[in-house]
Amino acid sequence: MSAAGPIVAAPVAISDWGFLFYRIRKSPLTVLGILMILTVLVFVAFAPWLATHDPNAISLRARLAPPSGAHWFGTDEVGRDLYSRVVFGGRLSVGVGFFVVVIAGGVGAVVGCLSGILGGRVDTVLMRIMDVVLSVPSLVVTMALAAALGPSLFNAMLAMAIVRIPFYVRLARGQALVIREMPYVKGAYIFGASNWQVLRWHVARNAMPPLIVQATLDLGGAILMASALSFIGLGAQQPTAEWGAMVSTGRNFILDQWWYSAFPGFAILFTATGFNLLGDGVRDLLDPRQKGR
Amino acid sequence: MFIATGPSNRKFQTIAFAAALATTLAAVLAGPAVADSAKDVLTIGKAADPQTLDPDITVDNNDWTVTYYAYQRLVHYKTINGKGSTEVEPELADSWSVSADGLTWDFKLKAGNKFDDGSSLDAAAVKYSFDRLFKLKQGPSEALPENTTVTVIGPMEVRFQLPSPYAPFLYALANNGCGIVNPKVEEKAKDGDMAKAWLAANTAGSGPYKLVSWDKGQSLVLEPNANYAGEKPAFSKVRVKIVGEAAARRLQLENGDLDIAEDLPVDQVEAIKKKPGIRVEEYPSLLVTYLYLNNSKPPLDKPEVRRAISWAIDYQGIVDGIFDGQAKQMRGPIPDGMWGQDPNVMQYTQDLAKAKAELAKSGVTAPKLSFLYSERDPNWEPIGLAVQANLAALGIEVKLEKLANAAYRERLGKGDFEIGVGKWSPDFADPYMFMNYWFDSNRKGLSGDRAFYVNPKVDELVRKAASATDQAERVKLYKEAQAIVVDEAPYVYLVQKNSQIALRDSVAGFVFNPMLEQIYNIGAMSKTK
Repeated sequence: MSAAGPIVAAPVAISDWGFLFYRIRKSPLTVLGILMILTVLVFVAFAPWLATHDPNAISLRARLAPPSGAHWFGTDEVGRDLYSRVVFGGRLSVGVGFFVVVIAGGVGAVVGCLSGILGGRVDTVLMRIMDVVLSVPSLVVTMALAAALGPSLFNAMLAMAIVRIPFYVRLARGQALVIREMPYVKGAYIFGASNWQVLRWHVARNAMPPLIVQATLDLGGAILMASALSFIGLGAQQPTAEWGAMVSTGRNFILDQWWYSAFPGFAILFTATGFNLLGDGVRDLLDPRQKGR
Repeated sequence: MFIATGPSNRKFQTIAFAAALATTLAAVLAGPAVADSAKDVLTIGKAADPQTLDPDITVDNNDWTVTYYAYQRLVHYKTINGKGSTEVEPELADSWSVSADGLTWDFKLKAGNKFDDGSSLDAAAVKYSFDRLFKLKQGPSEALPENTTVTVIGPMEVRFQLPSPYAPFLYALANNGCGIVNPKVEEKAKDGDMAKAWLAANTAGSGPYKLVSWDKGQSLVLEPNANYAGEKPAFSKVRVKIVGEAAARRLQLENGDLDIAEDLPVDQVEAIKKKPGIRVEEYPSLLVTYLYLNNSKPPLDKPEVRRAISWAIDYQGIVDGIFDGQAKQMRGPIPDGMWGQDPNVMQYTQDLAKAKAELAKSGVTAPKLSFLYSERDPNWEPIGLAVQANLAALGIEVKLEKLANAAYRERLGKGDFEIGVGKWSPDFADPYMFMNYWFDSNRKGLSGDRAFYVNPKVDELVRKAASATDQAERVKLYKEAQAIVVDEAPYVYLVQKNSQIALRDSVAGFVFNPMLEQIYNIGAMSKTK
């Protein structure tokens, strides 16, 4: 979204719960997104109770069993229960999504707001650094970073967070630049408020809504990217249950054992779709100008 | 031009993306749409790229697919009634004689053999090749005794002088490392490297085929050597295609894009047997899968820890599950079917009580170990997972590390690992291939002693067995050594598996030899359509 102006109207809408519910109800896709995410979150929260087996327990003789009453999603090449692995894999995938978004959003917001308020040379230097990061395709940078740091899920998360920071920096800076010029902020400065105080009282609060929208939209993307990295072997390592890694290993068996790749793949699709629908919905809610599109 | 706007544009993008994704996937799985299935082109699908093509350096059967028939040897394995045998017959040699003490071997060469550049293959070329082998002193040189000398005694006559009697000498000459290299490669040498850099990516032999191109990670192309003295081969082109994924190899074989697919997991082989146009040949083989326990790294330097690991592995589960019953557990280091194997040597089974007792004796608590493997063999990851689960029961934490095959072998060679997994097949029919390679401490690293095992007593036994000429005496010495290396467990002796080779029905003339795993007799094969 363009940062043409601060979206100061948004908090007003949020405070009005009845109106909020009304607007959510008017958008069935948002409702669907919320329901999908809730489903995922329930599985994530109650994974140990909802899983039927230990996700890492192998049973060599029960290898590659088709879906059945004992193994709802079948078993993998060493006889691990795929349903339990998909359930536990969700913890990882969703956890990664949140981690990436929180780190990238947190760092991005602070750096962006500072850059916008301080202006001058600090702003120039910071923004040029961000331009450099942005100028390279983010998947390539992530892959390079993850490979350089060594293949592990944590490194992959770090790499993903780093390449996402510039998006938040730009967004936050744009907000800060506009808010800085608002009469009430000018007034605050005249009354002797420091940059720090302005940042805390005015800029940080008012810059929030677009950042939240960006973060919600990013969640699905981050989960997808984590899966992609695991798929090419740069993310989660065996025996960790992770959706992307499971799809990747399952590829070797795709011709005869469709269930191996299919169920984790469906889980990725379901979660990413859910977060995207939710993200779109939140954007519509927080940005009145998007109404009717 | 139609330009969509708003939501429809987005939808269009999504559909376009999905379509692109589907096409990519299909392409990845199916390979190029144009099948190169002409009658005179043979395509072999391989899981991993060769490492080096220098016959004096490579010790990997995966490389030998390309090198074996680019070079010729003094002798080669005989084909009896369409079956590969463990006996040898003359190839470049015309005849030979050996002195009574078994130390001096004189070979007369056949006339008329030429290298692929047209220069003739004479005694000087044979001497050059063996000098190069011993000077480079890499893995392949260890198939022959150290300090063997080769002298030219006539334009077409060479003499091998062995320092001590060496029973498998004649058979060792048939292995890939004894291929005769064109001395002209010296022109390509840089800084006195004996053309090591050049030969790593080229061939310079007298065999039926020569390498014409190598697109790293993609394919290698062989074409007939116009100067080959033997019968003209049937294929105008042999392509070795690198297809990393087992499922993709299988699909390409089904489509006819591949004529031979290597390293298919057992389940895929079972499914493929029913497909029309494809046959699966199964041969009893001496190919074993085993684990290297790095004896030079604590806590694996303690025999108790290694024994604990050996007692903890679920061998039968690996045989029944991962190998689908198509394999059997090894008994000691020598596979069943190779002479010299002691059928009564102790065999480890899964026994957690014994494993725990050994671990307690070692005094090591809660060790953490890494398990290295590569994409080279689809069974390695499941084996790693099984080992991880089995050792977890002992409180040993195993971390799986998957590497590209080149990086994997490099770390194995340097000893930078704790547990590694590998396959081994003999190059000549002698227990020497197992006992001397695996346990002689002079062979530490990739060339054989991959566990970095050192035991002077075993060194003495296997060296004595190698130079003894009486077979009964050799069996006795190897038997004694087997008892020690089973007890000290430098390796985990996992399974011995039948070789399964999946080919198109149209491929004719393939002869399997357990000494030549992953080597296809492309010089004599043909296609019926």
